[in-house]
Amino acid sequence: MKSADLIPKDWLEEFEAAARRPLETRFRYSFIRTYKPVLDDAPFRAFDTMEDYRRWCEANLPDWLGYARV
Amino acid sequence: MPAFEYRQAQEIRDVFAKHRIRYLFLGKSGAILLGFPDTTQDADIYVEKTATNCRALVSALRGLGFDLSDAQAAEIERGKDFVQLKNGPFDLDLVFAPDGIEQFADAWRRHIEVEGFPVCHIDDIIASKAATNRQKDRESLPRLRSFRQYWLRQRKK
Repeated sequence: MKSADLIPKDWLEEFEAAARRPLETRFRYSFIRTYKPVLDDAPFRAFDTMEDYRRWCEANLPDWLGYARV
Repeated sequence: MPAFEYRQAQEIRDVFAKHRIRYLFLGKSGAILLGFPDTTQDADIYVEKTATNCRALVSALRGLGFDLSDAQAAEIERGKDFVQLKNGPFDLDLVFAPDGIEQFADAWRRHIEVEGFPVCHIDDIIASKAATNRQKDRESLPRLRSFRQYWLRQRKK
């Protein structure tokens, strides 16, 4: 097995634990809700292209949200 | 707005099926359906961009309780690439042209069904995240790639 194929032990344990849980439980553990400034402040946004959306994120969202391209 | 719940995913699945919508769960919400243990806030739906499908989508969204004006409905029907909905019972991102996936038909051929939920293959989820090149996606990629190895091994058993 190549080293790139090795799954870190703690991640592997988490994957195995998740596999034992019913889907409904996985959902409860996975979906969280926190307020995201600007992003959460409009009920509807539509963008003609993904590029428009990416540019809008970079121009309008705080950097710490992580939506800017690297 | 509370967190997205399993019963709401079931509502999407059931209402979209009733309206015969061609769609796939994508992004981290898709990965979670495949078994990926991580956290996210939004459900991302990859919708096939055809006139019939987009018209049906508007009806389905209204049926789910999204408060769409006629102008907003028209934007969805016209086929934007990305629509962000926060005017319903839960937040939903509609993606019609995700980065890293050439065509809906390609993703559909590879898709996985999980308890009736149509989900993008893990390779497509990773490809779309890698193609965005956003900080938040780059941070999640190593763990997603490890999950891919685990998931593929489990499927071979």
